[in-house]
Amino acid sequence: MQSEGETKNGRRDFMRAAIAAIGGVIGAAIGLPAIPYVIGPALKSEQGDWIRLGSPTKVELDTPTLFKTTLETQTGWISTQEEFSVYILTENGQDFVAMSNICTHLGCRVRWIAEESGFFCPCHNGVFAKDGSVQGGPPPRPLDRFETKVEDGNLFVRRG
Amino acid sequence: MLATLGNWLEERIGWRSVWATIFLRKIPHVNWLYTLGSATLFVAMVQGITGILLTIYYVPTPDHAYDSVVYITTQLPAGWFIRGLHHWGASAMIVLTAAHLLRVFFYGAYKYPRETTWITGVLLLLVVVGFGFTGYLLPWDQKAYWATTVGTQIAGLVPFVGDWILRIARGGPELSAVTLARFFGTHVWVLPAALASLIGVHLYLVIRNGISAVPSRGE
Repeated sequence: MQSEGETKNGRRDFMRAAIAAIGGVIGAAIGLPAIPYVIGPALKSEQGDWIRLGSPTKVELDTPTLFKTTLETQTGWISTQEEFSVYILTENGQDFVAMSNICTHLGCRVRWIAEESGFFCPCHNGVFAKDGSVQGGPPPRPLDRFETKVEDGNLFVRRG
Repeated sequence: MLATLGNWLEERIGWRSVWATIFLRKIPHVNWLYTLGSATLFVAMVQGITGILLTIYYVPTPDHAYDSVVYITTQLPAGWFIRGLHHWGASAMIVLTAAHLLRVFFYGAYKYPRETTWITGVLLLLVVVGFGFTGYLLPWDQKAYWATTVGTQIAGLVPFVGDWILRIARGGPELSAVTLARFFGTHVWVLPAALASLIGVHLYLVIRNGISAVPSRGE
Protein backbone atom coordinates (compact mmCIF):
# COMPACT_ATOMS: atom_id res chain seq x y z
CA MET A 1 0.00 0.00 0.00
CA GLN A 2 2.80 2.33 0.96
CA SER A 3 4.55 1.87 -2.35
CA GLU A 4 1.32 2.31 -4.31
CA GLY A 5 0.69 5.63 -2.59
CA GLU A 6 4.18 6.69 -3.56
CA THR A 7 3.68 5.76 -7.21
CA LYS A 8 0.43 7.69 -7.29
CA ASN A 9 2.10 10.78 -5.93
CA GLY A 10 5.01 10.22 -8.25
CA ARG A 11 2.73 10.13 -11.25
CA ARG A 12 0.84 13.16 -10.02
CA ASP A 13 4.04 15.13 -9.50
CA PHE A 14 5.32 14.08 -12.90
CA MET A 15 2.13 15.24 -14.58
CA ARG A 16 2.24 18.52 -12.72
CA ALA A 17 5.85 19.12 -13.77
CA ALA A 18 5.11 18.07 -17.37
CA ILE A 19 2.13 20.43 -17.60
CA ALA A 20 4.20 23.29 -16.17
CA ALA A 21 7.05 22.59 -18.60
CA ILE A 22 4.86 22.29 -21.69
CA GLY A 23 2.83 25.31 -20.62
CA GLY A 24 6.04 27.26 -20.13
CA VAL A 25 7.33 26.32 -23.58
CA ILE A 26 4.03 27.29 -25.24
CA GLY A 27 3.85 30.51 -23.24
CA ALA A 28 7.38 31.39 -24.31
CA ALA A 29 6.65 30.45 -27.93
CA ILE A 30 3.93 33.08 -28.06
CA GLY A 31 5.20 35.52 -25.45
CA LEU A 32 8.76 35.93 -26.69
CA PRO A 33 7.93 36.72 -30.36
CA ALA A 34 5.30 39.16 -29.09
CA ILE A 35 8.01 41.43 -27.65
CA PRO A 36 9.91 42.25 -30.89
CA TYR A 37 6.54 42.28 -32.69
CA VAL A 38 5.28 45.08 -30.47
CA ILE A 39 8.45 47.14 -30.07
CA GLY A 40 9.98 46.40 -33.50
CA PRO A 41 8.93 49.56 -35.38
CA ALA A 42 10.12 51.72 -32.48
CA LEU A 43 13.65 50.36 -32.74
CA LYS A 44 14.11 50.94 -36.46
CA SER A 45 16.98 53.39 -36.85
CA GLU A 46 16.48 55.97 -39.56
CA GLN A 47 19.85 56.61 -41.14
CA GLY A 48 18.61 58.98 -43.79
CA ASP A 49 19.65 59.30 -47.38
CA TRP A 50 21.35 62.39 -48.71
CA ILE A 51 18.74 65.08 -49.31
CA ARG A 52 19.31 67.38 -52.29
CA LEU A 53 18.64 71.04 -51.49
CA GLY A 54 19.73 72.76 -54.71
CA SER A 55 22.52 75.09 -55.72
CA PRO A 56 24.82 76.24 -52.90
CA THR A 57 24.92 79.67 -54.49
CA LYS A 58 21.45 80.26 -53.11
CA VAL A 59 22.91 80.36 -49.61
CA GLU A 60 23.37 83.96 -48.54
CA LEU A 61 26.74 84.77 -47.05
CA ASP A 62 26.83 84.93 -43.28
CA THR A 63 23.10 84.63 -42.75
CA PRO A 64 21.13 81.41 -42.14
CA THR A 65 19.12 80.60 -45.27
CA LEU A 66 16.07 78.38 -45.10
CA PHE A 67 15.81 75.50 -47.56
CA LYS A 68 12.55 73.60 -47.90
CA THR A 69 11.98 70.35 -49.67
CA THR A 70 9.42 67.58 -49.59
CA LEU A 71 10.55 64.08 -48.77
CA GLU A 72 8.92 60.80 -49.57
CA THR A 73 8.87 58.88 -46.30
CA GLN A 74 7.58 55.45 -45.39
CA THR A 75 5.80 55.20 -42.04
CA GLY A 76 4.46 51.74 -41.40
CA TRP A 77 2.58 50.81 -44.59
CA ILE A 78 1.88 54.41 -45.60
CA SER A 79 4.20 56.49 -47.72
CA THR A 80 3.75 60.17 -47.04
CA GLN A 81 5.14 63.48 -48.24
CA GLU A 82 7.02 65.14 -45.44
CA GLU A 83 7.95 68.80 -45.42
CA PHE A 84 11.64 69.06 -44.56
CA SER A 85 13.25 72.38 -43.66
CA VAL A 86 16.85 73.14 -42.86
CA TYR A 87 18.84 76.31 -42.24
CA ILE A 88 22.16 76.58 -44.08
CA LEU A 89 24.88 78.92 -42.92
CA THR A 90 28.10 79.72 -44.72
CA GLU A 91 30.87 82.18 -43.95
CA ASN A 92 32.80 81.84 -47.19
CA GLY A 93 30.55 80.11 -49.72
CA GLN A 94 32.71 76.99 -49.42
CA ASP A 95 31.98 75.44 -46.05
CA PHE A 96 28.38 74.92 -45.06
CA VAL A 97 26.71 74.33 -41.73
CA ALA A 98 23.26 72.75 -41.81
CA MET A 99 21.04 73.32 -38.81
CA SER A 100 17.71 71.79 -37.95
CA ASN A 101 14.83 74.22 -37.51
CA ILE A 102 13.46 72.11 -34.66
CA CYS A 103 13.85 73.67 -31.22
CA THR A 104 15.85 71.43 -28.88
CA HIS A 105 13.48 72.26 -26.04
CA LEU A 106 10.19 70.61 -27.03
CA GLY A 107 10.24 70.36 -30.80
CA CYS A 108 8.53 73.51 -32.06
CA ARG A 109 9.85 75.10 -35.27
CA VAL A 110 12.29 77.99 -34.86
CA ARG A 111 12.47 80.91 -37.27
CA TRP A 112 15.44 83.09 -38.23
CA ILE A 113 14.67 86.76 -37.69
CA ALA A 114 17.31 88.83 -39.44
CA GLU A 115 16.54 92.12 -37.64
CA GLU A 116 17.11 90.48 -34.27
CA SER A 117 19.93 88.30 -35.58
CA GLY A 118 18.66 85.15 -33.90
CA PHE A 119 16.50 82.06 -34.19
CA PHE A 120 13.32 82.44 -32.19
CA CYS A 121 11.06 79.71 -30.97
CA PRO A 122 7.39 80.79 -30.65
CA CYS A 123 6.50 78.19 -28.02
CA HIS A 124 8.61 79.07 -24.96
CA ASN A 125 10.77 81.97 -26.13
CA GLY A 126 13.86 79.93 -26.82
CA VAL A 127 16.53 81.97 -28.62
CA PHE A 128 19.47 80.62 -30.63
CA ALA A 129 22.39 82.55 -32.12
CA LYS A 130 23.37 82.49 -35.79
CA ASP A 131 25.52 79.38 -35.28
CA GLY A 132 22.75 77.61 -33.41
CA SER A 133 24.09 78.07 -29.89
CA VAL A 134 21.59 78.80 -27.13
CA GLN A 135 21.22 82.48 -26.27
CA GLY A 136 18.24 82.42 -24.01
CA GLY A 137 15.18 80.58 -22.85
CA PRO A 138 14.74 76.92 -21.95
CA PRO A 139 16.53 74.99 -24.78
CA PRO A 140 19.02 72.53 -23.26
CA ARG A 141 21.43 72.34 -26.22
CA PRO A 142 22.27 74.05 -29.52
CA LEU A 143 20.26 73.37 -32.67
CA ASP A 144 20.98 69.94 -34.16
CA ARG A 145 23.34 69.88 -37.12
CA PHE A 146 23.34 67.72 -40.22
CA GLU A 147 26.14 66.41 -42.35
CA THR A 148 26.60 68.40 -45.57
CA LYS A 149 28.31 67.85 -48.91
CA VAL A 150 28.51 69.59 -52.27
CA GLU A 151 28.39 67.34 -55.32
CA ASP A 152 27.86 68.20 -59.01
CA GLY A 153 26.92 71.76 -58.07
CA ASN A 154 24.31 70.64 -55.61
CA LEU A 155 24.15 70.99 -51.85
CA PHE A 156 23.15 67.88 -49.92
CA VAL A 157 22.39 67.27 -46.25
CA ARG A 158 21.91 64.04 -44.35
CA ARG A 159 19.97 63.48 -41.17
CA GLY A 160 21.84 61.52 -38.54
CA MET B 1 8.34 32.05 -0.44
CA LEU B 2 5.71 31.12 -3.02
CA ALA B 3 3.94 28.99 -0.40
CA THR B 4 3.91 31.94 1.99
CA LEU B 5 2.36 34.15 -0.66
CA GLY B 6 -0.14 31.38 -1.45
CA ASN B 7 -1.12 31.14 2.22
CA TRP B 8 -1.34 34.91 2.56
CA LEU B 9 -3.72 35.08 -0.41
CA GLU B 10 -5.65 31.97 0.69
CA GLU B 11 -6.43 33.63 4.02
CA ARG B 12 -7.82 36.70 2.25
CA ILE B 13 -9.44 35.47 -0.97
CA GLY B 14 -9.78 31.68 -0.53
CA TRP B 15 -8.38 30.75 -3.93
CA ARG B 16 -7.58 27.14 -2.98
CA SER B 17 -11.19 26.02 -2.97
CA VAL B 18 -11.68 27.71 -6.36
CA TRP B 19 -8.59 25.96 -7.71
CA ALA B 20 -9.72 22.62 -6.30
CA THR B 21 -13.22 23.03 -7.74
CA ILE B 22 -11.84 23.71 -11.21
CA PHE B 23 -8.78 21.51 -11.46
CA LEU B 24 -9.04 18.83 -8.74
CA ARG B 25 -12.60 17.70 -9.37
CA LYS B 26 -13.42 14.00 -9.52
CA ILE B 27 -13.84 12.61 -13.02
CA PRO B 28 -14.73 9.13 -14.28
CA HIS B 29 -12.12 7.05 -16.08
CA VAL B 30 -12.12 8.62 -19.54
CA ASN B 31 -10.05 8.65 -22.73
CA TRP B 32 -8.16 11.15 -24.86
CA LEU B 33 -11.27 12.24 -26.74
CA TYR B 34 -12.29 14.01 -23.54
CA THR B 35 -9.45 16.52 -24.04
CA LEU B 36 -11.07 18.02 -27.17
CA GLY B 37 -13.02 20.58 -25.14
CA SER B 38 -9.91 21.73 -23.28
CA ALA B 39 -8.00 21.81 -26.57
CA THR B 40 -10.69 24.06 -28.05
CA LEU B 41 -10.51 26.34 -25.02
CA PHE B 42 -6.73 26.49 -25.29
CA VAL B 43 -6.78 27.41 -28.99
CA ALA B 44 -9.46 30.01 -28.22
CA MET B 45 -7.04 31.60 -25.75
CA VAL B 46 -4.25 31.58 -28.35
CA GLN B 47 -6.67 33.23 -30.80
CA GLY B 48 -7.47 35.87 -28.20
CA ILE B 49 -3.82 36.69 -27.54
CA THR B 50 -2.70 36.69 -31.19
CA GLY B 51 -5.86 38.60 -32.16
CA ILE B 52 -5.08 41.34 -29.65
CA LEU B 53 -1.54 41.52 -30.99
CA LEU B 54 -2.82 41.84 -34.57
CA THR B 55 -5.07 44.78 -33.67
CA ILE B 56 -1.96 46.74 -32.67
CA TYR B 57 -1.20 47.16 -36.39
CA TYR B 58 -4.29 46.15 -38.35
CA VAL B 59 -6.50 48.98 -39.67
CA PRO B 60 -10.02 48.05 -40.83
CA THR B 61 -10.53 50.44 -43.74
CA PRO B 62 -10.43 49.60 -47.47
CA ASP B 63 -7.43 51.85 -48.12
CA HIS B 64 -5.33 50.43 -45.28
CA ALA B 65 -6.55 46.91 -44.42
CA TYR B 66 -4.60 44.99 -47.05
CA ASP B 67 -1.46 47.13 -46.73
CA SER B 68 -1.45 46.83 -42.95
CA VAL B 69 -1.78 43.05 -43.19
CA VAL B 70 1.12 42.92 -45.67
CA TYR B 71 3.09 45.16 -43.31
CA ILE B 72 2.42 42.77 -40.40
CA THR B 73 3.39 39.75 -42.46
CA THR B 74 6.50 41.05 -44.20
CA GLN B 75 7.89 44.00 -42.22
CA LEU B 76 7.36 43.31 -38.54
CA PRO B 77 9.62 41.00 -36.56
CA ALA B 78 7.67 37.78 -35.90
CA GLY B 79 4.63 39.33 -37.60
CA TRP B 80 4.33 36.36 -39.96
CA PHE B 81 4.38 34.09 -36.90
CA ILE B 82 1.69 35.94 -34.94
CA ARG B 83 -0.55 36.19 -38.00
CA GLY B 84 0.20 32.57 -38.93
CA LEU B 85 -0.87 31.38 -35.49
CA HIS B 86 -4.11 33.34 -35.77
CA HIS B 87 -4.72 32.12 -39.34
CA TRP B 88 -4.15 28.42 -38.64
CA GLY B 89 -5.68 28.70 -35.18
CA ALA B 90 -8.92 29.76 -36.88
CA SER B 91 -9.05 26.49 -38.78
CA ALA B 92 -8.08 24.58 -35.65
CA MET B 93 -10.98 26.19 -33.80
CA ILE B 94 -13.52 24.91 -36.32
CA VAL B 95 -11.98 21.42 -36.43
CA LEU B 96 -11.68 21.09 -32.64
CA THR B 97 -15.14 22.50 -31.95
CA ALA B 98 -16.68 20.08 -34.42
CA ALA B 99 -14.68 17.13 -33.04
CA HIS B 100 -15.69 18.05 -29.49
CA LEU B 101 -19.33 18.24 -30.57
CA LEU B 102 -19.13 14.82 -32.24
CA ARG B 103 -17.58 13.24 -29.16
CA VAL B 104 -20.35 14.63 -26.95
CA PHE B 105 -22.95 13.51 -29.47
CA PHE B 106 -21.72 9.94 -29.97
CA TYR B 107 -21.12 9.39 -26.26
CA GLY B 108 -24.62 10.67 -25.52
CA ALA B 109 -23.06 13.17 -23.11
CA TYR B 110 -25.69 15.79 -23.96
CA LYS B 111 -28.42 13.88 -22.08
CA TYR B 112 -29.94 14.73 -18.71
CA PRO B 113 -28.70 16.63 -16.73
CA ARG B 114 -26.39 18.18 -19.32
CA GLU B 115 -28.86 19.60 -21.87
CA THR B 116 -28.02 23.22 -21.02
CA THR B 117 -24.32 22.50 -21.46
CA TRP B 118 -25.13 21.15 -24.92
CA ILE B 119 -27.24 24.22 -25.77
CA THR B 120 -24.52 26.66 -24.71
CA GLY B 121 -22.11 24.49 -26.70
CA VAL B 122 -24.21 24.83 -29.83
CA LEU B 123 -24.34 28.59 -29.31
CA LEU B 124 -20.54 28.55 -28.94
CA LEU B 125 -20.32 26.70 -32.25
CA LEU B 126 -22.33 29.51 -33.87
CA VAL B 127 -20.00 32.09 -32.32
CA VAL B 128 -16.93 30.22 -33.60
CA VAL B 129 -18.38 30.03 -37.11
CA GLY B 130 -19.19 33.74 -36.82
CA PHE B 131 -15.55 34.41 -35.93
CA GLY B 132 -14.47 32.48 -39.00
CA PHE B 133 -16.88 34.27 -41.31
CA THR B 134 -16.11 37.81 -40.09
CA GLY B 135 -12.37 37.20 -39.78
CA TYR B 136 -12.13 35.91 -43.33
CA LEU B 137 -12.96 39.35 -44.74
CA LEU B 138 -10.45 41.32 -42.70
CA PRO B 139 -7.30 40.83 -44.87
CA TRP B 140 -9.33 42.55 -47.63
CA ASP B 141 -7.67 40.64 -50.45
CA GLN B 142 -9.43 39.15 -53.45
CA LYS B 143 -10.24 35.89 -51.68
CA ALA B 144 -11.65 37.74 -48.68
CA TYR B 145 -13.71 40.10 -50.80
CA TRP B 146 -15.29 37.44 -52.99
CA ALA B 147 -15.80 34.94 -50.18
CA THR B 148 -17.78 37.57 -48.29
CA THR B 149 -19.65 38.57 -51.43
CA VAL B 150 -20.70 34.96 -51.89
CA GLY B 151 -21.32 34.35 -48.18
CA THR B 152 -23.60 37.34 -47.76
CA GLN B 153 -25.31 36.46 -51.05
CA ILE B 154 -26.12 33.03 -49.61
CA ALA B 155 -27.60 34.68 -46.53
CA GLY B 156 -29.66 36.74 -48.97
CA LEU B 157 -31.38 33.57 -50.25
CA VAL B 158 -33.45 33.16 -47.08
CA PRO B 159 -37.12 33.40 -48.08
CA PHE B 160 -38.84 36.76 -47.45
CA VAL B 161 -36.22 38.31 -45.13
CA GLY B 162 -33.16 37.40 -47.25
CA ASP B 163 -32.59 40.77 -48.84
CA TRP B 164 -32.99 42.42 -45.47
CA ILE B 165 -30.37 40.10 -43.90
CA LEU B 166 -27.99 40.72 -46.80
CA ARG B 167 -28.28 44.49 -46.41
CA ILE B 168 -27.73 44.32 -42.66
CA ALA B 169 -24.71 42.02 -43.08
CA ARG B 170 -23.16 44.30 -45.70
CA GLY B 171 -24.35 47.57 -44.22
CA GLY B 172 -25.84 48.39 -47.61
CA PRO B 173 -26.52 46.68 -50.92
CA GLU B 174 -22.82 46.26 -51.81
CA LEU B 175 -19.63 45.26 -50.02
CA SER B 176 -17.97 48.48 -48.88
CA ALA B 177 -15.98 50.23 -46.17
CA VAL B 178 -19.10 49.88 -44.02
CA THR B 179 -18.99 46.09 -44.44
CA LEU B 180 -15.34 45.89 -43.47
CA ALA B 181 -15.84 48.11 -40.41
CA ARG B 182 -18.85 46.18 -39.11
CA PHE B 183 -17.18 42.81 -39.72
CA PHE B 184 -14.17 44.06 -37.77
CA GLY B 185 -16.32 45.40 -34.93
CA THR B 186 -18.21 42.12 -34.78
CA HIS B 187 -14.99 40.11 -34.90
CA VAL B 188 -13.15 41.96 -32.13
CA TRP B 189 -15.97 43.14 -29.82
CA VAL B 190 -19.31 41.44 -30.28
CA LEU B 191 -18.13 37.86 -30.75
CA PRO B 192 -15.35 37.91 -28.11
CA ALA B 193 -17.88 39.20 -25.55
CA ALA B 194 -20.33 36.47 -26.55
CA LEU B 195 -17.59 33.83 -26.53
CA ALA B 196 -16.31 34.80 -23.08
CA SER B 197 -19.81 34.84 -21.54
CA LEU B 198 -20.82 31.54 -23.10
CA ILE B 199 -17.56 29.84 -22.15
CA GLY B 200 -18.14 31.03 -18.59
CA VAL B 201 -21.58 29.40 -18.49
CA HIS B 202 -20.38 26.32 -20.37
CA LEU B 203 -17.50 25.70 -17.95
CA TYR B 204 -19.66 26.41 -14.92
CA LEU B 205 -22.06 23.72 -16.11
CA VAL B 206 -19.26 21.26 -16.87
CA ILE B 207 -17.93 21.70 -13.35
CA ARG B 208 -21.36 21.73 -11.68
CA ASN B 209 -22.69 18.62 -13.40
CA GLY B 210 -19.40 16.80 -13.78
CA ILE B 211 -18.53 15.00 -16.97
CA SER B 212 -20.23 11.84 -18.13
CA ALA B 213 -18.42 8.50 -18.19
CA VAL B 214 -17.73 6.61 -21.40
CA PRO B 215 -21.01 4.82 -22.09
CA SER B 216 -20.88 1.04 -21.93
CA ARG B 217 -22.81 -1.61 -23.82
CA GLY B 218 -26.45 -1.88 -22.78
CA GLU B 219 -26.66 1.65 -21.37
